[in-house]
Amino acid sequence: MNRNYLLLTALLIILSGGLLFLPEKSDINRENPEDLMWDIVQPTRYLSTDKVAKMIIEKDPLLLLIDVREDYEFEEFTLPGAVNVPFDSILTDYADEILSIEDVNTVLISNDDIRADQAWVIAKRLGYKNIYVMKGGLNCWITTIIQPVEPAETSPITEFELYKFRLGASAYFTGAEIPEESGEKKKLNVTRRKKETVVEGGC
Amino acid sequence: MHIHELNPKKTIIALSVFIVVIVIGLSSISGPRLEYKLSPAETIELITWEEGYVYPYELEDILGGVVDTVILIDIRNNFDFSRGHIPGAENISAIELLNEENISRLKKLKKEGMCVMIYGDSQLHANGPWMIYRQLGFNNVKLLLGGYDYYAQWKDNLADTYAEDGYLLGMPRHDYADVAANAGIFDEDDGDNKKPLNITRRKKTTVVEGGC
Amino acid sequence: MGPLIPLGQIATGWDFVIALLIGIAFGFILESTGFSSSRNIAGVFYGYNFVVLRVFFTAVIVAMIGLQYFDYMGWIDLNLIYILPTYVNSMIIGSVLMGLGFVLGGFCPGTSYTAIAIGKLDAIVFTAGLFLGIFMFSELFPLLENLYYGESLGNVTISEILGVSNGLITFLFVIVALIAFYVTWLIEKRVRNRITEYKF
Repeated sequence: MNRNYLLLTALLIILSGGLLFLPEKSDINRENPEDLMWDIVQPTRYLSTDKVAKMIIEKDPLLLLIDVREDYEFEEFTLPGAVNVPFDSILTDYADEILSIEDVNTVLISNDDIRADQAWVIAKRLGYKNIYVMKGGLNCWITTIIQPVEPAETSPITEFELYKFRLGASAYFTGAEIPEESGEKKKLNVTRRKKETVVEGGC
Repeated sequence: MHIHELNPKKTIIALSVFIVVIVIGLSSISGPRLEYKLSPAETIELITWEEGYVYPYELEDILGGVVDTVILIDIRNNFDFSRGHIPGAENISAIELLNEENISRLKKLKKEGMCVMIYGDSQLHANGPWMIYRQLGFNNVKLLLGGYDYYAQWKDNLADTYAEDGYLLGMPRHDYADVAANAGIFDEDDGDNKKPLNITRRKKTTVVEGGC
Repeated sequence: MGPLIPLGQIATGWDFVIALLIGIAFGFILESTGFSSSRNIAGVFYGYNFVVLRVFFTAVIVAMIGLQYFDYMGWIDLNLIYILPTYVNSMIIGSVLMGLGFVLGGFCPGTSYTAIAIGKLDAIVFTAGLFLGIFMFSELFPLLENLYYGESLGNVTISEILGVSNGLITFLFVIVALIAFYVTWLIEKRVRNRITEYKF
């Protein structure tokens, strides 16, 4: 037999044998650190409580609220339509199923925003898309949406518009009577449209 | 049989080209510049590690020079930094944190046993960069609880923050269900709704552990 | 780094230019390996010439090994490579028909064009038949559609079906190929001893 053939045969066996020892590519690094850092510095990853309230009131079909608090906290109180994925269970199949729903805007909520933010970093690293953090969390939700504070007399008009919106939202979420003149609720429709220009203050 | 197949010269040429390509390729493998050292599961655990955080009252020791193994890094932008920052802090805005020079500097500091404390406006602001550093294996990077805003508020009496909890995040400050049920009454008395916080605080006596 | 076009390293407008260049290179290799000779093609079936099998098998295993090393080196991302869907029925019927066409005509579709390029008359006839076949198939497609799309497995690879690593599949395939080279070499030697007057 030709010596060339033996040489080529040996080479192919060695090379293909080498393939067996190539390490598997790990897929836990689905988003590399540089990209993750870039995503982290984008302020658009936060949604204000007003924005979330507006989305809930408008029954935004693309909104998916995920409550990352513990289950007993979740049972006590949560936002309408939220699903519970406790922070510790973010790597389970159940969490994967929920986080990988496509074409929805996933909003993470927790007591403050810090736990939701931590969950956000991990979820982002795992490669999930369209995830946001509700800035201020439920503590801020209470102080802005449920118990809005009337702005000072000297505040700009936008503050008052925001306050009006929050009063309406508060009524929506608690089913409470609005202490001001009735008809406020009808007006709410108008203020809601304008909401885009309103300064989203708060936490 | 074709003469090409038996031509030893051609075989050798083809063979060497083939081998050269593979060798070039193998030698040119440069793994990703930055690699996560922690798995996602370990990252979740990391959040609860006490030693990853710097409490505001511990700043006193750092600023007072009692602990001199800590370097302060301000991750806010230049403008905010110029308007005020913790004394001795240097300004590296968040997006530059993963630059080649900053990474190699961090590696050096880690080797020298120095700690790096990063802070932003709030704990939230610096949380992402801190988590990335930690996941990259820089376990000498710590995060200032409360951030600059809290510091600015208390900078004259940092020691007093030991008895304060304004910088602690993550626990409910209201009894949500209760508040939501009774929200019809706008009585503005948030104070009554405030839940007693269940805080596990570090003992004051412990100076910042320098062993990082 | 790669694949170049899906990752936008090369603008999509260039893909026809690249196809042309690859086509020219492919034609050149086909001709230079002697594939435009019907005797080489048909020789596989009669057992006196296995150069087709050797060339194609070699190309396949070199590409298999090379792609996987390139993937490991980060030169190409195999996850982004388009995988043709597998239709079991049409695959079996199609390959039997193609094999029959090979041995009857002495060309495969690609080599028939290289044969035209060097001026073979039978290749022109073969290509005319090829287009007639394409036309008939297109006209009859509504009747054949169920057969054509039957038993679809989707865009699967062997390693996904068997659940083993690509490296192992490649290794086994290389061993099979090398054994095939040796066996065909033996067959060739025996058959050629009987037809000594044959010359290229």
